[in-house]
Amino acid sequence: MSTKALYKTEPLKLWGKAKELRQNYYRDYAEAHEKGGIRWAGGAWTLGALTAGLGDDVHCITSEPYAASIAADKKFSMRCLEATEKAGYARDLCSYMRNYWGSIILNEYAFGGPFPKPDFLWQDHICCSHSKWYQVVSDLEGGIPYFSIDVSVGPYENIKGLNDPKIDYLVGQMHDGIEWLEKTTGRTYDDEKLIKAVNDECRGTSAWADVCALNKAIPAPLEEKTMYSLYVLGTLMKHYQVCADFYEELRDEVQYRVDNQIAAIANEQCRLMSDTQPPWGFLSLFRYLEQFGAISVGSLYTFGLIGIWEVKPDGTWGGRTTPEQAGIEIKDRDHALRIYADWNLSKPEWQHFYSPHLKTEMMIRIAKEWKLDGVMLHYNRGCEGLSIGIAENRLGLIEAGYPVMTYEGNMGDEREFDLTKTMARVDAFMETLGYKK
Amino acid sequence: MITAGIDMGSKTIKVVILKDGEIIGKSIELAGFESREAAEKAFAGALEAAGIAQGDIEKTTATGAGRKNAPYTEHEVTEVGSDARGVRELYPNARTVLDVGAEEGRAIRTTDEGKVLDFALNEKCAAGAGAFTESMSRALEVPIEELGPLSLQSDASIPMNAQCAVFAESEVVTLVHAKTPKQDIARAVHDAIASRIVSLARKVGFEPDVVLIGGVAYNTGFVDSLERALETKIIIPEDPEFVGAYGAAIIAAEGL
Amino acid sequence: MFDKFRDWEQNRHDYAKDWQKHNGGKVIGYFCTYVPEEILYAAGVLPVRILGSHEPQDVTEPHIFGMFCPFCRDCLAQGLKGRYDYLDGLTIAQSCLHIRQTFTSWEKHIPLEFTYYMPHPMKVQSPRALPYLVSEIEIFKKAVEEWTGVTITDEMIKKAAEVYDENRRLMREVYELRKAENPPLSGEEAMEMVISSQLVDKAEHNEELKRVLAELPNRDTGRETGARLMILGSEDDDIKFINMVESCGATFVTDDHCTGTRYFWNTTPEGNGDMLESIAQRYIDRPRCPSKDWEDRSRLDHILKMAKDWDVAGAIVIQQKFCDPHEADTPTIRKALNDIDVKNLFLEFDVTVPLGQFRIRVEAFLEMIGDEDLFD
Repeated sequence: MSTKALYKTEPLKLWGKAKELRQNYYRDYAEAHEKGGIRWAGGAWTLGALTAGLGDDVHCITSEPYAASIAADKKFSMRCLEATEKAGYARDLCSYMRNYWGSIILNEYAFGGPFPKPDFLWQDHICCSHSKWYQVVSDLEGGIPYFSIDVSVGPYENIKGLNDPKIDYLVGQMHDGIEWLEKTTGRTYDDEKLIKAVNDECRGTSAWADVCALNKAIPAPLEEKTMYSLYVLGTLMKHYQVCADFYEELRDEVQYRVDNQIAAIANEQCRLMSDTQPPWGFLSLFRYLEQFGAISVGSLYTFGLIGIWEVKPDGTWGGRTTPEQAGIEIKDRDHALRIYADWNLSKPEWQHFYSPHLKTEMMIRIAKEWKLDGVMLHYNRGCEGLSIGIAENRLGLIEAGYPVMTYEGNMGDEREFDLTKTMARVDAFMETLGYKK
Repeated sequence: MITAGIDMGSKTIKVVILKDGEIIGKSIELAGFESREAAEKAFAGALEAAGIAQGDIEKTTATGAGRKNAPYTEHEVTEVGSDARGVRELYPNARTVLDVGAEEGRAIRTTDEGKVLDFALNEKCAAGAGAFTESMSRALEVPIEELGPLSLQSDASIPMNAQCAVFAESEVVTLVHAKTPKQDIARAVHDAIASRIVSLARKVGFEPDVVLIGGVAYNTGFVDSLERALETKIIIPEDPEFVGAYGAAIIAAEGL
Repeated sequence: MFDKFRDWEQNRHDYAKDWQKHNGGKVIGYFCTYVPEEILYAAGVLPVRILGSHEPQDVTEPHIFGMFCPFCRDCLAQGLKGRYDYLDGLTIAQSCLHIRQTFTSWEKHIPLEFTYYMPHPMKVQSPRALPYLVSEIEIFKKAVEEWTGVTITDEMIKKAAEVYDENRRLMREVYELRKAENPPLSGEEAMEMVISSQLVDKAEHNEELKRVLAELPNRDTGRETGARLMILGSEDDDIKFINMVESCGATFVTDDHCTGTRYFWNTTPEGNGDMLESIAQRYIDRPRCPSKDWEDRSRLDHILKMAKDWDVAGAIVIQQKFCDPHEADTPTIRKALNDIDVKNLFLEFDVTVPLGQFRIRVEAFLEMIGDEDLFD
């Protein structure tokens, strides 16, 4: 019987704190101007630490998690999507982008009141839509100053040291970006604050990877639906000190759960991973899995979009050694930028932009180390950036001997997702794997 | 031992009654709005054909999209499971099952032992093979059962967009306006639908023997298109739309 | 007069195979017009652009998720069906995500002796793009040298660039002639000319261009020019569509496509003598693919200027279905065209287009342009 409790469970103690941090974040952004502060907007993996040199009263709003919040509110989301379509934009564009644009067009903030207009836009470019996204935002908002850094220099395995011309390309743009930030805001730039933010981001993103690595344990201490609510902090504010502190605290709590065999779900029997963003309005899909004793223990998406990893001496994956841990003292701005560029370029969720086969290798690694029984791939019509190469990933995983289920959907446009049909697929998949409700 | 399998499809409901491995009764009904009523009617029909009463059935397994609404049922199995089981019983050498019904298309790869290795279902954008042929038969003003034979008269190959039903439909309109012979359009329609099913088959890595089941298997034009695209002979059972229910009835018997 | 171009365009595989046989050289397929072909050409390699065949296909479903553009799937289908089985190598320069998948699937499933993914700056508007691209071309050059066994000297690159630049200048000359009140060539002929230039040896193409240009100014096409149109948007080699529009009483006089002007518009700048830098500069300066056009939308002024210089009455804005970079530009471009009174029609392309339906829309569009003229 799949519902039989095999393990003890306990709610996560830090749950409330994660929620609070997220609420404060959106509030601080909205209220920044009242305190003479600065607001900026950019993507979830933008090189945010660079803005820290402008002062401690600089607050950001990152577009993907903001749009995911909209998507979770189906009614508001539909109004946003329709507003964007009415403005002439295609329905098959990135659904985060369309939700976000809609929120601007309607001038409604998902957390109440009018949309708090940013003072500048600070983006980076890895997928086709990233820089186009804010080009349109700038259009829609009547010309907000906009700077975007191109990070697409090929896979990390090709980078040969901190002085590789590929790193130079990024670092050069970052230097230009800092000059631009000073000019745009009229503020003097503080390199010490930049260095601190770089160290904080390295600390936090490595700690998040450690948290995910703890999920290799059986029973898994976390299930993916919960992980979404935790990893989101990194997508909002990976360069903030509070974020790094939180992930370190979380690592301790998850370690405690592992040590005491505290499970995320009591009836864990079948371990899966997912891929790409889920349909945010339908996370109940993950609860449905539990009826079969199945748990999604994570994905390259939850592990590697924010988490920064390395191969440990024993050959397994864990959080990357931070510059501080390696005894590297960042000397100056250029040094900070080189370290920061290198750190971000090693992001697992950036490698697949150049080759799905690199992603397949990482997925097979996860399947092995996290001891998976199968894989559930979300062919996500809402995000071409994370869905790129997904069909090849499927072929690669099957070749490696892992059963794969696929379902089509959309992370942010419910018109392209069918929960009933997807559950029917889960039924068939579980049946083939031999698990019963 | 008497068991029953009921396939609650989106358009039709099929019941098969099995006695010691032999089919002793079967029946099909349109699902309509009240699928539960239709299911009871289908059951009644099958019971009558078998000459037994409801109480004689030891176990019933339901399959199909609407299986939650099936009456007299103790047990459920997915369409993937029932299709694979039914086909394996009929054709032990089958390794690929294609099931093309009104709303859904499905490709299943099975192992030498008959276990499901992988399956693929059509996505929203390529849905409704059966429903699509029906609307095309209306557009061409040809009864649905004549659409197949009509297309067999054609040897013209007109490319038609296969990705999206809406686009394909507009191409049909274009062809009608251009006074393209009906048989050529019919063949183009079947080629387009077959191409979607072939895509699914390729996704699961089809291997012979390939068995086609589901109501659309009656359409000879579609079968011809499918065979040309797959470059392989396709096996079609006698009652292709009953295979799911048949598989469910076998599974019911195995569970006793 | 344009038969040769058409012949090359229609029999591209035969041409490449013949070239291979007679020259004993290597043929490489490439996917995006940001590939610095000069380097390949300098090494004696024939670069041919891989395009689709505009036939429905059922072979790419296992490899590319259906939400990506029909063009990238059509191209992969050509590879999977063995139509490019004569290729010795395959390359791509980084541009959009869609076509990239054609490369990565092809590379994995179709064995070739040489494959190369070339990183290429996306922020070509940054001053940092030039040194970066130079370093990437340098690495590419080394890889090509290793593959072919040819040491590529500066002199060889210079010669290759000269051949390429001549091709660019000659095609531009042809386009200049399209400014005439009655252009001496149709849009269909122009499209065949540019596409064929992506498929054959440029030196040979140059000879044909020179021959054509000698006669072109005095050519009477014998057809009514009708409404002067431009066509712009994503990759477009749908000759049937161009033909259909031009049969409705219109002539295309220019375009903004990577199968058109974006490919040949500018030539290699003089520079300071560093050939790699000059070549890199050309790829940075060329009319941009929207995927590389940010933060400013530099395409906009270029398109508007072209519309004026070629005196177009209307524009047809097309895109491959699901092409995100173009979808992000299209509303702004259409608005800007409207602002300068260039009426425009938007159409979404798939592997095959419903010509009949599109004809109805095109006829209505041309009627609208015609009505405007009545009140001028």
